Amino acid sequence: MNDFHIARTDHTPEVDFRFSEHCLTLAGEAYPEDAATFFQPVLSVLERYLGSVDDCDIEFNFQLVYFNSASTKMLYRLFGLLHDSACTSNRVVIRWHHDPEDDTVLEFGESVHDDFNALEFVPIATPLAAL
Amino acid sequence: MHIDVFSVFRNTADFSGVLLYYNGPLSQNVIATMGEILRHRLGSADAGGPKGRKLFSSFIEMAQNALHYSPDAPGYPGEKIGAVAVGRRGSGDYYIVFGNLVHNSQSQRIRDRIEPLRSMTVGEIRNAYREQLRQEPCVDAASKGAGLGFLTLARDASEPIEYSLIDMSGEAGDLAYFYIQATV
Repeated sequence: MNDFHIARTDHTPEVDFRFSEHCLTLAGEAYPEDAATFFQPVLSVLERYLGSVDDCDIEFNFQLVYFNSASTKMLYRLFGLLHDSACTSNRVVIRWHHDPEDDTVLEFGESVHDDFNALEFVPIATPLAAL
Repeated sequence: MHIDVFSVFRNTADFSGVLLYYNGPLSQNVIATMGEILRHRLGSADAGGPKGRKLFSSFIEMAQNALHYSPDAPGYPGEKIGAVAVGRRGSGDYYIVFGNLVHNSQSQRIRDRIEPLRSMTVGEIRNAYREQLRQEPCVDAASKGAGLGFLTLARDASEPIEYSLIDMSGEAGDLAYFYIQATV
């Protein structure tokens, strides 16, 4: 499957899904005008990829520093897809980058960790400037 | 505006600690640009810190709420309008107040959404937020933010959300003006 890339803008994140390396990254900020329109293609391509691989070690780098409420809902669905895959066919590790002072990003990570326990969750405190 | 009127306006804004004021058309670009200005207006100590992030989050939720749900401005088809003021109190807290038109028919729904949040504890808000996050989408067809918007505002605020709905049906059809204020 071809790698999937969307460049970041001031209100949409960089999507860097290197399916060939089983390494997926989301970075930047997410507050698009319509979160469903932005994220639906991302979820679709991820779902196709997950359906095409088996017994793989998949790494997901979460490096978003801000996401609005509508994007949060879409991200929750994205982690649901990864969880389903981890329950059945693959091993998924989530590297959850967050600024040490940012409770909001860490708390969302804890929700993801609690609700999708088949995902291996690795919090990584990274100063904002480095994200 | 005459100079003396503008002088009063400016002095009032100064006295109220206003960092950003806008009243006009809303679009995603206007919102993103204002968001950047807001970050520049915060002191360097707050811009990258928790308060700055919560204030930015509150600004985006309020502004996109207005962009998505307010009816077109009377006489300007397709145009959404809104007013916002962000300022710093002497205590070091920030306030953000947003105003936009709503249909009178939406007023009760807005009250029903905000009123319960006003009496919740921080822990109750966090639990309600997580509960809403787990809800399947499209439970509430009228809500693009899937019901998380007001909960996000409540989560980021350090005091209960304030709001006001002013019936304008006499002058502008079946409309009301909705104000919402948060302290961060």
